[in-house]
Amino acid sequence: MYDFAYHKPSSLADAVKLLAEDPDAKPISGGMTLLPALKHRLNMPTALIDLSGIAELRGIKREGDAIVIGAMVKHFEVATDPQIMAAIPALARMAATIGDTQVRNRGTIGGSLANNDPAADYPAAALALGATLITDRRQIPADDFFVGMFTTAMEPGELLIGVSFPIPEKAGYAKLRNPASRYSMTGVFVAKGPKGVGVGVNGAASCAFRQKEMEAALAANWSPEAVANIRQPANDLNSDIHGSAEYRANLVTVMAKRAVADAG
Amino acid sequence: MSETRQMRHGSSIGQPVTRRDGLLKVTGQARFAADNHPAGLLHAVLAVSRIARGRVAALDLPAARAHPGVVEVMVTANRLALALHPDDKSVPFSFKLDLLQDDRVRYAGQPIAVVIAATLEAATEAAALLAPRYEAGPVEVTLDAPGGYVPESVGVGDPGEMRHGDVEAGLRAAARRIEATYETPLQFHNAMEPHGVVAAWEGDALSLDMPTQGLALTRMRLAALLGIRAEDIHIRSPFIGGGFGSKLLSGPQVLGILAARLVGRPVKLVLTRAQMYGPVTHRSPTRQTLRLGAARDGALTAIHHHVRTATSRHDDFLEPSAGVSHTLYAAPAIATTNEAVRLDTGTPGFMRAPGEASGSIALESAIDEMAHACGMDPLEFRLRNYAEVEPVSGKPFSSKALRECYAEGAARFGWAGRPLAPRQMRDEDGLLVGWGVGTATFPAIMFQAEARAVLRRDGTGLVESGTHDMGQGAWTAFAQIGADSLGLDLDRLEFRAGHSDLPNAGIAGGSGHTATAGGAIHAAGAQAIARLTEIAVADPRSPLFGAGNVGVVARGGRLLRRDDESRGEAYADILARAGLDSVEGRGSAAADPAAAERYAMHAHGAVFAEVKVDPELGQIRATRLVGAFAAGRIINPRLVRSQYYGGMIWGLSFALHERAAMDPRTGRVMNADLAEYHVPVNADVPSVEAILVEEQDPHVNALGIKGVGEIGITGTAGAIANAIWHATGTRIRRFPVAIEELGR
Repeated sequence: MYDFAYHKPSSLADAVKLLAEDPDAKPISGGMTLLPALKHRLNMPTALIDLSGIAELRGIKREGDAIVIGAMVKHFEVATDPQIMAAIPALARMAATIGDTQVRNRGTIGGSLANNDPAADYPAAALALGATLITDRRQIPADDFFVGMFTTAMEPGELLIGVSFPIPEKAGYAKLRNPASRYSMTGVFVAKGPKGVGVGVNGAASCAFRQKEMEAALAANWSPEAVANIRQPANDLNSDIHGSAEYRANLVTVMAKRAVADAG
Repeated sequence: MSETRQMRHGSSIGQPVTRRDGLLKVTGQARFAADNHPAGLLHAVLAVSRIARGRVAALDLPAARAHPGVVEVMVTANRLALALHPDDKSVPFSFKLDLLQDDRVRYAGQPIAVVIAATLEAATEAAALLAPRYEAGPVEVTLDAPGGYVPESVGVGDPGEMRHGDVEAGLRAAARRIEATYETPLQFHNAMEPHGVVAAWEGDALSLDMPTQGLALTRMRLAALLGIRAEDIHIRSPFIGGGFGSKLLSGPQVLGILAARLVGRPVKLVLTRAQMYGPVTHRSPTRQTLRLGAARDGALTAIHHHVRTATSRHDDFLEPSAGVSHTLYAAPAIATTNEAVRLDTGTPGFMRAPGEASGSIALESAIDEMAHACGMDPLEFRLRNYAEVEPVSGKPFSSKALRECYAEGAARFGWAGRPLAPRQMRDEDGLLVGWGVGTATFPAIMFQAEARAVLRRDGTGLVESGTHDMGQGAWTAFAQIGADSLGLDLDRLEFRAGHSDLPNAGIAGGSGHTATAGGAIHAAGAQAIARLTEIAVADPRSPLFGAGNVGVVARGGRLLRRDDESRGEAYADILARAGLDSVEGRGSAAADPAAAERYAMHAHGAVFAEVKVDPELGQIRATRLVGAFAAGRIINPRLVRSQYYGGMIWGLSFALHERAAMDPRTGRVMNADLAEYHVPVNADVPSVEAILVEEQDPHVNALGIKGVGEIGITGTAGAIANAIWHATGTRIRRFPVAIEELGR
């Protein structure tokens, strides 16, 4: 194992300062992706900046018509928080299906959103619900945040501190998990809110995306049948040893149908 | 010989005794090779090639040697000279080894250096610091590689081509014909325990803790490679964490031994999981074309089974997939043909049911397709084409209770009433349900083995044979045979195994270990009893005096007059009066050529499968498996059932899970780990049942044993494939079945 420095700041300001001082330093939250990457030598930072000691990054609160979740909130907390379960139960249910028990008790919502793994669950929810991503320096709408595979609109040194989800009228989620890795092969999050209908898709492409044809269909007729015959073009979808692009295209339709049924 | 041919009715054989080593295993006290840490132990780690063809241009030896804790880096230049070239294959069942003989790279994962250090971590880090540079050539790693050749032989000396009758005429005369091509994937054994060695030299004597399925062969080859006497090599292999054909002598183990010699201290070398996808053999992919013809009444008129498979560019092993078509179904014309292509991979080898497993899934699928073409129930079709004699040779079977297997399996499964057409059944959740059947078969093979049995004056017995326990239960089953052969209760018997200094027990392979080593043990025990009998019947003071003509029975530690069992004497008393501490017998066993000349000898079985398929997603669950097998005498039904379960689960894995994905550009396996190389977990196997069908075989060997190690994997994969077709109406011919081919 190679050497690196380890810092555990207790304030956001200290964390941002440490990151600014060393461009090769990396923040670490749950470490669900970064630690394996270090072990595989895919990433060799000079320093790890552990965010777990920063109180400003924790906590779940209701602010008006939105639920605001701190970046360091763990999946298990999202899955079991009474406020989230009451306001956006689909989000809690989604969190309960991430990885396994160990992952849910280590991994964080901020880490997942900032990492933007194509198969991560939360980006689809953020897109469908019209969430706002809050960083140390600005607020970014979900539509602008998820830029591409493992890529977000955040700049080097910028820290995600939380995410604000508008409370929908109803929402639902369905995914097909790879039975071995339990990553999402394709998941669809549907939401009907004050600003309209959102359909977010994860796992299918290089980056989570909105399925606008389905959004229009559900806006006109909120029912599983409304999306049952909408075919997602396979052109830009992932094809790998777990499933072809055509198979994932089919999954988008099936999961959308099941997500609407889940939403009720 | 009549003495050893005669079966004793002892108290142990046939009993479902639990594993004698079970407590050691579940409490972690069973000491596997890598659990050994002799004083002064150093750790060796392989550096392996990331290219599949070319040469190693440079290694950063100074960087690796400078790493703290590193003792030595072994490369071509400082590797000790060998007495035998690593490519020499004069020892049976051996393959060419990669022992740093030069800078050539023949496949990805080939060892290119060995780092020896004080800790595993230091050796691992230093191996990374070697940062090899390569000159890489273009690679071919799939069956789509251009060209190919027609091999003279496949498997171990099976003919590359076999023709019985006129297949083309049979096809022309057929009322129904099918032709279909099936593909099976590249597979790796993935034994739970990685290959490894703990090696310690004392002068020219070598002490090894090393898992091996063939102690004597391993010792023989090591002696030849190292230029030392076989008697000076002491191999302990009491427990093997799965071998499945991959654990004869492997190159990395020899490198560990050479590393120990180089540094003059004990060395442990254990492969990582990823390193098990290269130098320790695999099952090659196959592409099999079946052409079948059948008359209007469903009788097969012809079977042509053609196989394209692969071997490495530098060595030869061809998966003999077509062999199953020689024995399974009656047809007046049968032909099997092979073609092969050389690839830039490690050399394939024996992987559980080599040939039978991959061939069975193709043949059983094709038979099912033909049954459908004939409008017949697939079980009825198989019975219609039941082979009363071995089709190709015309020999009678030494025994064959396949009909009973079909009947008992079908009854237990509830086959009756199965709709003929596909896509007719759904469960309460709307999932498609399908039922399929496959026939299982595996030849009864024997090797050569020896054993020693001793009766002691304290009334206990000792049996010694260097047998191999790979988890199948050798410690228990051989002790049961030994106890019966000596007429002792099991708890009065000491059994020694798993060591190269014991009598040669042959190999644990080909499903022949129990028959072979069991036969040797049985003969050794019989000889010890015969010697004891000679003493007793000649002694006027013995109640058995003069009983030589009527004979005696050995049971419960006593010899008894056969005609009057109330007259007998304890072994201990006989020995004491004769002033002997013990009496010893030696036994050996091997295939009987005369019996093999007269009879075809195979185990058989029938496997029934139920699958459920999600019609929207194509997700498949194998919800029920019922197998019924007839394999001659069953020594221990509990262990045998466990073997059948394991085989059937592997069959399920073959049909639905296992596949190594090759990167055609680099020649590397892309999923060289147990996260991405899928094997079934408990959740994938809701229900498995194995029925032991009674079968007595007076010809196959003295004990009537056919072997159960591999047959379970055959039949099962085909049964599942056929059930998927029955559920969905879609015939998948590429394995493992990809859900995307069903989700439409």
